[in-house]
Amino acid sequence: MEFKELPPVKEQIMKCVRCGKCRELCPVFGEIGIESAAPRGHVFMVQMLRDGKVEPSPEVYEKLGQCLMCETCSANCPSGIDVHELNAAARAYLNDKNPNRGKDFLFGNFWTKPEMMKQSIKVASLAQRLGLQKLARNIGLTRLLPGDLKDAEKILDNIPPHSARSQLSAYTPAQGESRYRVGYFLGCGTDFLNPEIAQAAVNVLSRNGCEVFIPEGLKCCGLPHIANGKMDVARQLTIHNLKLFEKLNVDYIVTDCGSCSATLSKKNLKFVLEGTSYQEDGAAFAARVMDLTVFLVDVLDIQVDVKIDRKWRVTYHDPCHLVNAQGITEQPRELLRRIPGVELVEMPHAASCCGGSGTYSVTHHQLSMQILDKKMSNAASTGADILATCCPSCIMQLNFGCKRSNWNAEVLHPVVLLNRAYEPAPAAV
Amino acid sequence: MNNADIKKELVKMLGRDKVLIDDLDLMYYSYDSSFLTKLQPVTPTAVVLPASTAEVQKVVRLAYENDVNIIPRGAGTGETGGCVAVEGGIVIDLSRWREIVEIDVNNMQVVVRPGVIHADLNDELAKFNLFFPPDPGSSKMCTIGGMVANNASGLRAVKYWTTEPYVLGLEVVTPTGDVIITGGQQARCIKNVSGLNLTKLMVGSEGVLGIVTQIRLRCFPRPKARGIAMAVFDHLDDAPATVLEVYQAGVLPSGIEILDGSAIKAVNDFKPHINLPEAEAILLFEVDGNPPGVEYEGQIIKEVAGRRARQVEWSTEKKRMAELWEGRSITATAAARVRADGSRIFAGEDISVPISKVADVLRAIRALGEKYGIQVVNYGHIGDGNVHCAPVINPENPEEVELVKKLVDEIHLLAIEMNGSTTGEHGVGAARRGYAVLEHGPAVDYMKKVKAAFDPKGIMNPGKLF
Ligand SMILES: Cc1cc2nc3c(=O)[nH]c(=O)nc-3n(C[C@H](O)[C@H](O)[C@H](O)COP(=O)(O)OP(=O)(O)OC[C@H]3O[C@@H](n4cnc5c(N)ncnc54)[C@H](O)[C@@H]3O)c2cc1C
Repeated sequence: MEFKELPPVKEQIMKCVRCGKCRELCPVFGEIGIESAAPRGHVFMVQMLRDGKVEPSPEVYEKLGQCLMCETCSANCPSGIDVHELNAAARAYLNDKNPNRGKDFLFGNFWTKPEMMKQSIKVASLAQRLGLQKLARNIGLTRLLPGDLKDAEKILDNIPPHSARSQLSAYTPAQGESRYRVGYFLGCGTDFLNPEIAQAAVNVLSRNGCEVFIPEGLKCCGLPHIANGKMDVARQLTIHNLKLFEKLNVDYIVTDCGSCSATLSKKNLKFVLEGTSYQEDGAAFAARVMDLTVFLVDVLDIQVDVKIDRKWRVTYHDPCHLVNAQGITEQPRELLRRIPGVELVEMPHAASCCGGSGTYSVTHHQLSMQILDKKMSNAASTGADILATCCPSCIMQLNFGCKRSNWNAEVLHPVVLLNRAYEPAPAAV
Repeated sequence: MNNADIKKELVKMLGRDKVLIDDLDLMYYSYDSSFLTKLQPVTPTAVVLPASTAEVQKVVRLAYENDVNIIPRGAGTGETGGCVAVEGGIVIDLSRWREIVEIDVNNMQVVVRPGVIHADLNDELAKFNLFFPPDPGSSKMCTIGGMVANNASGLRAVKYWTTEPYVLGLEVVTPTGDVIITGGQQARCIKNVSGLNLTKLMVGSEGVLGIVTQIRLRCFPRPKARGIAMAVFDHLDDAPATVLEVYQAGVLPSGIEILDGSAIKAVNDFKPHINLPEAEAILLFEVDGNPPGVEYEGQIIKEVAGRRARQVEWSTEKKRMAELWEGRSITATAAARVRADGSRIFAGEDISVPISKVADVLRAIRALGEKYGIQVVNYGHIGDGNVHCAPVINPENPEEVELVKKLVDEIHLLAIEMNGSTTGEHGVGAARRGYAVLEHGPAVDYMKKVKAAFDPKGIMNPGKLF
């Protein structure tokens, strides 16, 4: 579809009254403080692009690329503009006009194939470590990952040796009577960076009467591709995944990753599948997608009847893709409250972004760190010993934040804590 | 110096971080919230982001020596193109300069730099049981500098009035590059009648007389209690009539706001949990003060409003009050939601009329909307006669644009005819300068003389006010 005809471009630009409410909400604007970083500035620039007042140049991409897609502006826009969708549409357009071989390779190949994705992270950091910047530059990696790579790669310090996928079977039966057939959408971040979340999720689901299916050949949800202007690849990935789940005949499709559930939401799939014959399938698929904590609290209404001796002081960080994209704030907290031994303490500005946002912490490292530092000081002010959140990308970033701020807290997904509570308590001495 | 040299010099003076000179960066400074700049954005020659009086002074001196226009800018939430370089020049963006210099608790004063955001200031003051009472709908995004320049007010002007009475003194960089302090160089007093009142002159001068670099504001003790009454009306006329009756009953609420039927729909669409009742109009009365007083006045409002209203809800519950107040503050932009392919425009949006004539005006605006086939959402500070009209159009449809321009013109003329003004708080800027002579007659010449005294070269925010 032609850029001008894309629904967000066609319908939303004109709604912006430039009231500026988004300026003060935007974490990036909060750091940069100039209008080109403000969400209303992005809407303005997309309009300039649409109207041919600026060339679809890499410079324009750079301006729009400052947005970390946290959706805070979209969730709070009185005029109802999905600024991030508009931005994503423009990035795709700009990307088409400025093909970048390295980037095409990365997002068209590496990051569509799970195993390769893991490698890509390593290649980028290895290239830097071996002083092979030139090679990396030639294949377009440094262009994609500017800034201080050496520092940025520290975020990826602890890539676990084994993925979740390699440790979990495609089918896990329910313990006891089966209540639901549940498809588990194993996101890349969980799979490669936080396999313990997947193990905990499958364990908790099974323990609470769910048969769990993890389809073979599952691919990325497509979010990194949308964020990096590779809409065509995102579309292919979505269609591929739709078909996989179609065969399974499950009641629900759950994911522990806020970004995956946001990407697979009805609204986003409508955007991604616009103009294809998969619109209806997408809607039917999205109707079954649910965040894991929502499923555990609202559908299973789980009660955790185990005795725990120890206490956990926990604070919760709202991942942008749950709070802004889906308005989910209560269920993760409720799940935590239901875990015996948990004392939940709210941090100031729990819903403000941590600056992680997938590849952002690497592509815009400095900025991302400034946003992170604010988050960490809010989180640490609670004196919690556990920092819980529902997004592997946030977990990665917050872990790094703990290191940066020398705060000795454990960062984890609530389901991991729940699973820990289930573990048989050591025998009393 | 030509433009290229000026840009180079600016970078040399302030450093690359504080100067924008690339075409792409500059385009973003071609607009504010006005419909005018949505239709006609104008890109400045350069943008500077100073963070000290000395830096501002350097830029102004350079501009003065080279006859280059200078345009002060806050957050760009103004509705009149006031901060846009409509005749070209250097934009001085002060919104990053956010320092609260001092909170003088005993003297109930605060000293701030111009970029401080209104809501942030009040959050800080709350720690000391103080507040700066004017409460614009744009509280969370506009700067104190912008408020001073526009003499902004808002939802609590009924009782607390506008920004002006709170400004005790200013530091100003004049268009010739001098730095002056108004309100007494050393003064910390509240009352002060010494000298010509330049503070008063500067407040509301919309950046045409100088750049405000520091502001000394008077604060009030925070009221201990608050309550909100929502009165729901089946007939629009009953709302303004009730406002008069509440005053006549001896009550001065801290705010009285109106939302008409379409504004109610817009709010409910954006924030369904606020759940305003559908009606021709609702009034929100806010009362503040000590707890028994608030309750007492609340009951009077309930009784008086209840004579005409279908329903009156009185609440002192924090959550509900926050919802209702939020509902009103978001109306300004949520208004667009009444039409799927529409946008509200900020034009003709700020008329001010005698409170006795509000009912006539609301009826007349409704008739004008029908005449032009344009939906107009009405809301605003009815307690002081400041009615906000939000025409909702498709701004990309040239026919609608032409029609709405005529509608807006008629709204402005209506205000003047009704013994009112084209603007109650948003200012004149570039958008309403055409009405200056009609509103002020020969006084406009004297305004120009005052400006010339400050700004002999006419470089300070030209193309505004008159
Ligand atoms: C949704 C919405 C709701 C609003 N509600 C209200 C309301 O209830 N009440 C109200 O009064 N206004 C309201 N406004 C209008 C606007 O927010 C106010 O006028 C505000 O004070 C402008 O502040 P700003 O920082 O955005 O200034 P800008 O728009 O950047 O500038 C406004 C004017 O001030 C001048 N200026 C800015 N800073 C300085 C300085 N330091 N020195 C000298 N001149 C300067 C500029 O040149 C310009 O002429 C609303 C606007 C919006 C978008």
